[in-house]
Amino acid sequence: MTIIHNRSLDDINDTTPVLGGNAITRAFSGGSLTRLIGMLLLILILGFLTIYPLSMLLYGSLHSTPPGMAGEFNLNGYRSIMTTQNLIVLVNTVGISLAKTIPSLTIAVFLAWIVARTDTPFRGTLEVLITLPFFIPPILTAMAWGMLANPQVGVINMAWRWLTGAQDPLINIYSYGGVIWHMCQYSIPFLFLFMVDAFRAMDPSLEESSRMCGASRWTTFRKITLLLMLPVLTSSFMLSFIKGIETFESALFFGLPAGIKVITTDIYEAINHRATPDYQYATSLSFAIMGLMFLLVIAQWAILRGKSFQTVTGKGFRPNVMELGPWRWVTFAVCVLFFLVTVVLPVGQLLLGSFFRFFGFYTYDMLTLEHYRAVFSNSEFWRAVRNTMMLGLLGATATMALGAVVAYISVRTKWRGRSLIDGMAWLPWMMPGMVLGVGFLWAFAMLPGPIPIYGTIWALLLAYIALGTPVAVRVMTGSYHQLSYDLEECSRVHGASWLQTLWRILVALAWPAFAVGWVLTFFGIMRELSASILLYSVGSETLAVVLLKLWANGNAEQVSVIGLMMMLLVILFRWVQLRFIKARISKL
Amino acid sequence: MASVTLENVTRMYGAITAVDHVNLKIKSGEFVTLLGPSGCGKTTTLRMVAGLEKNTGGRISIGDNVVSDADKGYFVPSERRRLGMVFQSYAIWPHMTVFDNVAYPLRIRRRPDKEIQDRVMNALRLVEMEQYAERPSPALSGGQQQRVAIARALVFEPEVLLLDEPLSNLDARLRTQMGDEFRQLQQRLKITALYVTHDQSEAMALSDRVVVMHGGKILQVGAPEDIYRRPENRQVAAFFGTPNLLDAKVRDCRPNGGQYYKLDVEGQGWSGECHAASEMPKGADVTVMVRPENLQIRETGTVNGGLSWSGEISQAIFRGPHRSIMVKTPAQTLHVETPSLADVGIGRPVTVAAPSDAAWAVRN
Ligand SMILES: Nc1ncnc2c1ncn2[C@@H]1O[C@H](COP(=O)(O)OP(=O)(O)OP(=O)(O)O)[C@@H](O)[C@H]1O
Ligand SMILES: [Mg+2]
Repeated sequence: MTIIHNRSLDDINDTTPVLGGNAITRAFSGGSLTRLIGMLLLILILGFLTIYPLSMLLYGSLHSTPPGMAGEFNLNGYRSIMTTQNLIVLVNTVGISLAKTIPSLTIAVFLAWIVARTDTPFRGTLEVLITLPFFIPPILTAMAWGMLANPQVGVINMAWRWLTGAQDPLINIYSYGGVIWHMCQYSIPFLFLFMVDAFRAMDPSLEESSRMCGASRWTTFRKITLLLMLPVLTSSFMLSFIKGIETFESALFFGLPAGIKVITTDIYEAINHRATPDYQYATSLSFAIMGLMFLLVIAQWAILRGKSFQTVTGKGFRPNVMELGPWRWVTFAVCVLFFLVTVVLPVGQLLLGSFFRFFGFYTYDMLTLEHYRAVFSNSEFWRAVRNTMMLGLLGATATMALGAVVAYISVRTKWRGRSLIDGMAWLPWMMPGMVLGVGFLWAFAMLPGPIPIYGTIWALLLAYIALGTPVAVRVMTGSYHQLSYDLEECSRVHGASWLQTLWRILVALAWPAFAVGWVLTFFGIMRELSASILLYSVGSETLAVVLLKLWANGNAEQVSVIGLMMMLLVILFRWVQLRFIKARISKL
Repeated sequence: MASVTLENVTRMYGAITAVDHVNLKIKSGEFVTLLGPSGCGKTTTLRMVAGLEKNTGGRISIGDNVVSDADKGYFVPSERRRLGMVFQSYAIWPHMTVFDNVAYPLRIRRRPDKEIQDRVMNALRLVEMEQYAERPSPALSGGQQQRVAIARALVFEPEVLLLDEPLSNLDARLRTQMGDEFRQLQQRLKITALYVTHDQSEAMALSDRVVVMHGGKILQVGAPEDIYRRPENRQVAAFFGTPNLLDAKVRDCRPNGGQYYKLDVEGQGWSGECHAASEMPKGADVTVMVRPENLQIRETGTVNGGLSWSGEISQAIFRGPHRSIMVKTPAQTLHVETPSLADVGIGRPVTVAAPSDAAWAVRN
């Protein structure tokens, strides 16, 4: 005689539940076979893009002859890089990177603070202007600065001599200072982009409570704001430092003529500038620099581990904006000055250079359109445009597709092997373009005969995809993290299959991030020089390669014309990105 | 609408047992609520029924079909279980309009446009949201989002409706209103609903039956009134509100003619009559539960029948609708709720009394 509702299921056998479907649908109800095949395919692709060139790098560093020739295995390569001269190269590399990172970080913090936390007028526009230099291919500004600050015929130095009557030039771009200055132009907007949202997203109540406790504005900034930003600052510093070590263009243009060598230019020289290219030396050096990068990345990971960004990722509040009074016009002027120096000046030089017969002789009777005519009737130029556009469109699409899939698997699923995929996709992160280029040089040369990649445009495409993948994965990971699982699960419960959900919910919600990543990758491909210069061959030149060749031949005038065309492209893409994609994101 | 059966359903996360041999049968058209403290496995249970989580043991059936059988390795994925679900976050897809959100389950199943139009508008009318059909869904308030989520869950006439704390994001007033509206809708459409909440009053007000869970296990299943008035054990008794739980010994036990047994119990300095579910031997240790609202404060004196304690008022707190009064007795301090009109004097000696059918004994 029990009255409490019974927990045992006495009526469970009213109707006997039956298993639906048949044995086959049951066996595959998890979709495990297709998943297995897909994963294997992905591992194969990533392996070819990252592990294979990496191991070929090791192979090549031990191999006595250039790729594809019979030879023996020895340690001569490593022996030959152990010289005092290379020690100087190493010190140069690290020193220059440090020397550009510290001022860049200071200026970037200042600019980010201006844009995010003060009432400086036109902050929205300023933000766009400040970040623009980051999207200009470095080879363009390098060439422009080569013309602007050339000690003999540079506009700046000519103006200086004319103004003061002095004999000596004001600045010589072919110096340590020149290399660092050119690197800073890229580091500052990069660091700015990296930090500005952290500044914006900081919870103002953390600062306000410090003020309430009696701390002054300045003390609050030092003790609260900066300390809260410390994780972001540290990671920015490490990132910028690592990028500095990878940089090629600045040292190529301004270092080499002055005898200043860094690791990337040393590798480049060993292959391209010696009477007989010394592949073993270059490969050993590449492998060694990768070791260095590996240590740096480990250091970065160790420093940042456990540092939480929680305090600065809240949303739904307005950061408190500091009222600067009349000083706001000073901060405004600082931002405008930055834009003038990093964009207007070099682009102005390109314009100037493109309309005069000879670079350096700016008189009325020298005005001409002949360079435009020459460039536009040059079939090599058009081929390079076609190549660059094709590589950009195909490369960006393939890279982002790969990145989207890898990020999905590593963030959204619990599949076995997902960390392997994630790790492989991340490997190129510690390979500078130059190093990856050398790795692929070996990798393509060692492929069996019937796979004709070596010396074709596909070689460039594959290298670009490998180089772009880490960033693509990061962008997509970030966007997936923002979408709650509920949105997907809800779709599954209401009848959509895994694929339907992927397409209708995830893709539909993540495409703005995909588009942002796509544009970034496209820019990355357009500016890529260090891997391209090793992997191109006649017929597969990109615009950057053509520019470099023209520059080497002393044709600064046509360089200016092509540079302007690229600049137009950059502005067009950036405008599309800001206008359509950003607008779409903010609506969500 | 279909029934849902869980047989020995278990879910392990590594060494942690989130859900432990749960047996439950939900009848067609019934509204069952899973109730329990945070982390007791409610969400996990619901998600296993939804197919979003695989049970590591046991069998789940919806209607006449097994949808998951851990021993046979059989598992029907979510999308083929024909369910409707309302998520705690509502999971309204931000890139679609209200209409598109609700139409989703139909579009996935490739229904003709005409039918989609009719059924979506019907579903929206049901939740009184038809005038918002073309709104982009981020431009909705919490309450409106919740209605859209319900409309979306109902539009396909699912076998079972699953809801995971759907009201917890709303403010108190809206919560009650939406809850009542939803209950009416459920009764009108005869929906089988499995509902998760940790709010006791919500569970009482909405459900046909409440399942009280703790540590992955079911403590008791029963109608709200049974669970509240006649808990099976001390844990369930303590879970609802702040009851007075008194230790006592059984002096006598006899059937009272109805469903229950009548006990004579004796505690420290008090004695009286109360009810219990089963027969208890003389001298057994029991816990007697008396809810504060069933206690009355009288002038000192003897009371016939039921239970009584004598003591003095030690504290009184005005709470608006009622007054909480603490009465210090030799056994323990009793919590009494009285209408807030009555005035009390601290330190006054009083007798606290309860009718015997308001006192319920469970075995320790
Ligand atoms: N993915 C997981 N991995 C490990 N443990 C988990 C996981 N998901 C849930 N658990 C554990 O299972 C137990 C039950 O979790 P569940 O989410 O079902 O609780 P709940 O009753 O819904 O609680 P709440 O009211 O807080 O939502 C908890 O102890 C939780 O820590
Ligand atoms: Mg829960």
